[in-house]
Amino acid sequence: MSGLPAQRRRNGAARAILLTAALAVFMLPLAWTALAAIGLRANNNTRPPSWVGSPTLDYFREVGIAEPSFWQELATSTVSAACAAALTVTASLPAAYGLARSHFRGDRLLTQGFLVLASLPAMAYVIPLSDLMRRAQLVDTFAGVILTEAAVTAPLAIYVLQGALSQLSSEWEEAAWLDGAGLFRVIGQIVAPLAAPSIVATAIIVFVLDWNLLLVPLVLTAGEIKTIPLAMSDFFTFERELEWPTAAAALIISLVPVAVLVMVFHRVLDRFALNVPRVD
Amino acid sequence: MRLTRRDRLVLFAPVAVLLTGWLVLPALLGLFATFTTYAPFGVAIRFSGLDNYAAVLRDGEFGAAVRNIAVFTVVAVPLELAIGFALAYLLRRPIGGRWLWRVLLLVPWLVSPVANGVMWRFLFGSATGLIDFGLGWLGRPDIPSPVGDLRLALPATVAVEVWRIAPFVAFLVLPGLSSIPSERWEDATLNGASWTRKVLDVALPSVRPLLLAITMLLIGLSLGTFDGVLILTGGGPGTSTVTPALYSYKQAFGVNDWPTGAASAWLIAAGVIGAGLVYLRVARTGQSG
Repeated sequence: MSGLPAQRRRNGAARAILLTAALAVFMLPLAWTALAAIGLRANNNTRPPSWVGSPTLDYFREVGIAEPSFWQELATSTVSAACAAALTVTASLPAAYGLARSHFRGDRLLTQGFLVLASLPAMAYVIPLSDLMRRAQLVDTFAGVILTEAAVTAPLAIYVLQGALSQLSSEWEEAAWLDGAGLFRVIGQIVAPLAAPSIVATAIIVFVLDWNLLLVPLVLTAGEIKTIPLAMSDFFTFERELEWPTAAAALIISLVPVAVLVMVFHRVLDRFALNVPRVD
Repeated sequence: MRLTRRDRLVLFAPVAVLLTGWLVLPALLGLFATFTTYAPFGVAIRFSGLDNYAAVLRDGEFGAAVRNIAVFTVVAVPLELAIGFALAYLLRRPIGGRWLWRVLLLVPWLVSPVANGVMWRFLFGSATGLIDFGLGWLGRPDIPSPVGDLRLALPATVAVEVWRIAPFVAFLVLPGLSSIPSERWEDATLNGASWTRKVLDVALPSVRPLLLAITMLLIGLSLGTFDGVLILTGGGPGTSTVTPALYSYKQAFGVNDWPTGAASAWLIAAGVIGAGLVYLRVARTGQSG
């Protein structure tokens, strides 16, 4: 039987050791950066290496001096990523519902096709897109960036949401149909509340993707709309390098909003699931 | 169900508009333009057949980019899958504070590729970096930053990407592994299965479709590598870490050679679409069998 307590304990210990080692590998670089941001730096010129500096918040202020519009860029990133994520989810939910609740020839293929589309790098189409957007006078506008980001992330959102929706029982919908509710009432009042955890999880992952996107704002803007990744890449491509502690502080600032978001909503995040065990 | 053809039309309309206008149409118009001399501010446009593609393929830098991205993909994707699966496997049974683990798994992925490049540039650097700090404690001399070394730049780029993505893979695999009924594990234990047998006979078959989907996403992510190298190495030293996406960007927006930029970008798309066709086939056979 499972009367192998010794082996079980040994396995438990092995697991704890491996997990701790992994945690160290994946967190150490960020801890190093966080320490630098508060002014604690390694000094590798001494033997053995030592630490210099004392804790200070000066470098966070320094970010605003080195890049005077940094705080505005933070706001731009927040607004554009939030709008793009909202648009992605709003447009994807009806389509995902359509996929989950209808059976037609090739529906399965269409769903998998969205995953392939989600894998298509933005580089494949942003060059001609930038030209089209210029002609449509959408370059350097919020609308241009938001619509493009929404299009980039919509295929992934459809794929994940259709998986979540096809696992919902359709009883409630049937009842609502019988009561004569319309299509959008059914989605808005029955489906969306039932699938709320999956919808929120998808919105958060999409928000992070948009928050970190460089290529779309890089190609579609000319200085007016500037997001954090764009500002950071400007620093390191135009030869006016930031000092390490200042760069570290900027990095930590850009990480905190998404980290807080993930912490707050951690309960629903495992609903962002890619597996589609379709209920037939 | 009750969804009529008209219902489906209404349901798909918003996404159809978004994807057609901002993804499919630009992609197809771009494809069309690559067979001409079209450039945004150009005057004369004429049909040029495969000239743009020939120019790209003749360019030694693009050849280097294709070699780099092939190595990058072949090394990074399996490593990300293996490490991600291993982490998820270790976390599959409820342990104290699993929610915290799940959050921590996401953290490296929360760092944008640009910020990640900035961070590792300094961590690899000598004065205050992580690598030389460790070497110093071991009593070893400093080493020059690997991202400045012709041979080490590409492996360093791969390592940095694996660091960012592998925990995210674990985050994606974890729900699949923890939804395996516990009787299946217990049966395996009762039959005296070793942990390798458990991985091969219980875990992998259950999460196969999930792993396939993740592999597809990772291949696309890897073939499109752009901002991950832009800051870390800028494609250098020489052409040792240049990627096709970086090449396309430089051609289209750096040296204003729009036609070769668009043509090389379509070669990336062709690579991903090729992988996509394989995926569609494999995913379907897995379903029926």
